[in-house]
Amino acid sequence: MQPLADDLFLTAHDSVHGRCLLSPAILGLGLGGAVLAELVLGRRLDIRGDHLALLDDRATGDIASAAVLGHIARDHNRGVRDWIAYLGSGIAPDLVGRRLATTGQVRRRARRSFFGTRLVTEPVDSVASGRPGTRVRVAAERRERLPQEDLTLAGLIFATGLDQYTLATLGRADRAHLLDQLRRRLPEPLQRLLGHAEAAVGEAVLARRA
Amino acid sequence: MPSSHALTAPVRVSAALARDRLGVAAVVFFVMSAAAPLTVVAGVVPTGLAVTGLTAMPIAFLVVALVLAVFSVGYVAMARHIANAGAFYAYIARGLGRPLGVGAAWVALAAYNSFQVAAYGGFGAIAAPLVGDWTGADLPWWLIALAAWALTAVLGVRDVAVNGRVLATLLVAEVVLVVVFSVTDLTTAGFRPDLAALDPAGLTGAGAGALLVMAVTGFVGFEQSVVFSEESRDPRRTVPRATYVAIALIAALYAFASWAMISAAGAGAVNRAAAEGPELFFVLAADRLGTAAVHLGHALFLTSLVAAMISFHNIISRYAFALGREGVLPRAFGRTVPATGAPKNGSLVQSAFGLAVIVAYGVLGGDPLVQLFFWGGTAGGLGVLLLITVTSAAVVAYFGRRAQLENVWRRLLAPGAATLLLAGITTLTIVHLATVLGVPPGSALTRVLPWGFLVLSGLGVCWALTLRRLRPAVYEGIGRGARAFSFSSFGPVRSFGPDRSSGPDLSSGPDLSSGPDLSSGRGGAGDGR
Repeated sequence: MQPLADDLFLTAHDSVHGRCLLSPAILGLGLGGAVLAELVLGRRLDIRGDHLALLDDRATGDIASAAVLGHIARDHNRGVRDWIAYLGSGIAPDLVGRRLATTGQVRRRARRSFFGTRLVTEPVDSVASGRPGTRVRVAAERRERLPQEDLTLAGLIFATGLDQYTLATLGRADRAHLLDQLRRRLPEPLQRLLGHAEAAVGEAVLARRA
Repeated sequence: MPSSHALTAPVRVSAALARDRLGVAAVVFFVMSAAAPLTVVAGVVPTGLAVTGLTAMPIAFLVVALVLAVFSVGYVAMARHIANAGAFYAYIARGLGRPLGVGAAWVALAAYNSFQVAAYGGFGAIAAPLVGDWTGADLPWWLIALAAWALTAVLGVRDVAVNGRVLATLLVAEVVLVVVFSVTDLTTAGFRPDLAALDPAGLTGAGAGALLVMAVTGFVGFEQSVVFSEESRDPRRTVPRATYVAIALIAALYAFASWAMISAAGAGAVNRAAAEGPELFFVLAADRLGTAAVHLGHALFLTSLVAAMISFHNIISRYAFALGREGVLPRAFGRTVPATGAPKNGSLVQSAFGLAVIVAYGVLGGDPLVQLFFWGGTAGGLGVLLLITVTSAAVVAYFGRRAQLENVWRRLLAPGAATLLLAGITTLTIVHLATVLGVPPGSALTRVLPWGFLVLSGLGVCWALTLRRLRPAVYEGIGRGARAFSFSSFGPVRSFGPDRSSGPDLSSGPDLSSGPDLSSGRGGAGDGR
């Protein structure tokens, strides 16, 4: 299974045209939360209340979470919200984009427009990029027990509003079942992290930053 | 590799966060474009003159600015300590209790919606003759209003960043135009400096309440500065400075423009305002500036109304969004358009309401200028005035239990004084409501408005008490906006963490910081208390 943030990145892109379904700000906050969730799932970090607790500062095996962990190790006296906001301000999308590029799943290219040139990161294979979202949806339809990674992914899908695309065809009862799993089976630190991510998205909307 | 550079030093986190955040100028721009200066100067000032027959408008602006500045001392101080600082009801919920908070939320939705539909009516009524002038086409006002409505509805669910840039450009053009026209007024033949317009004694007459509430209406939008209290570079300074700067700039602009207008119109100012309406502002300077300037002025007047529509629409859809996230309104209101971050359902419902009002006025033949623009604007002004007054009291109550958070000026003296002054203005407004609305004393409308707001807030209080009984977890989250719950579309999971209060939060108690432990396997509404 590939890292959580990679799955979220692919889920956030239209599987037909490769366009991003989220505004850059919301994508950033979602990916920021996802990289932190990777570190929690990998037992490097814990979420205690509003703050991060460093459990283990040994480098992880990939560039994105290792860079974030290294940074947190130097400056861990900050709230979860600050970290999500900081990672969301371009850092997490950049790191995750580069990590996906090393496995050849995305293409990073300059796109020129009237307003100048910017770097866009697009999924290479639209079939493969639809897979994580489909996996969560199908598991929810079958009422399967999702592994923690996918349950967290589902949480981030809800937190960013991606469920309006990814889980649009999910029936009401299946949706409720998935949420019930989220509430009952996801460990508290991850629930807190998801709550912070969702609140960060909501406040970005209220502050007209989304 | 910009990010790996960014990851070399801890201090970069603060720097990176600050880079994304707003400075004083950005917040001032935002606030002033919500206030829509040209709409006020060309629309509200002549109407105020005509309706009240008083020329004390300039001093009314200055007095109201002073009162609002004093109010803002406590308002911006409290904004630093609470979530959802952009909404009056959040202050009231935290300061005076959640039931009153929901009552205030209902009043706020009604008041801002009044402004919104007023702007549609004003736009239609003012644009119809202009369109006739420019193109010769004789279009009904409601058709033009529907065009503005459609634009607002589309922009409401589109990228807000684009809106911001457009609004800023229009705002600069508006302010420049108001200054140029007003300076030109000083050079017209009939100009005689009107000192009576600056005499505070002018605010003791029978129409004083009317002038004051109109002046308050002119400032509406200033309260939005605190939306950015967490987004600003330096929360302790940026938002307070931006708020005072915006109030001062708005006051100076309005007072100068209205004084220049009244002085240039001479002794017949009131009669001319009654006869010429919004044209007064443009006609006075037309001799010197020529017709091209007047056409430009008309165009900007219309874009200014559109800017006001967009601002109010955004405020309303975000109020609905925050209430939807809390679960006070149906949770569907907490949804956004993922690609733009626009609060989707709040925006759609507001648009539906606007459409219904325009169609109803069109079908029933209501007067768009008096019965929609003016009455709607006045109803909105009274509603916001009530909210500001109660919010001011809420600030006093909030800090009354948290004396350690702020100094005595910010937590008690300023908000206390502001509460008394605002209560005075509110009382005068309600007493003089017949003058305010331009209807005979004792007319039914003068009772409908205040009672309407009272009944509405009563219903809000009842709804909050119902929530307390049936859905206690939702009740606990009232006023917390986006921070109320997780997975808002499905129901509460838990409250996450305390407010961003810098000191210990005495009232939040166990409900916020030590909520139910969900890892034990249970969650949901039943655990909220």
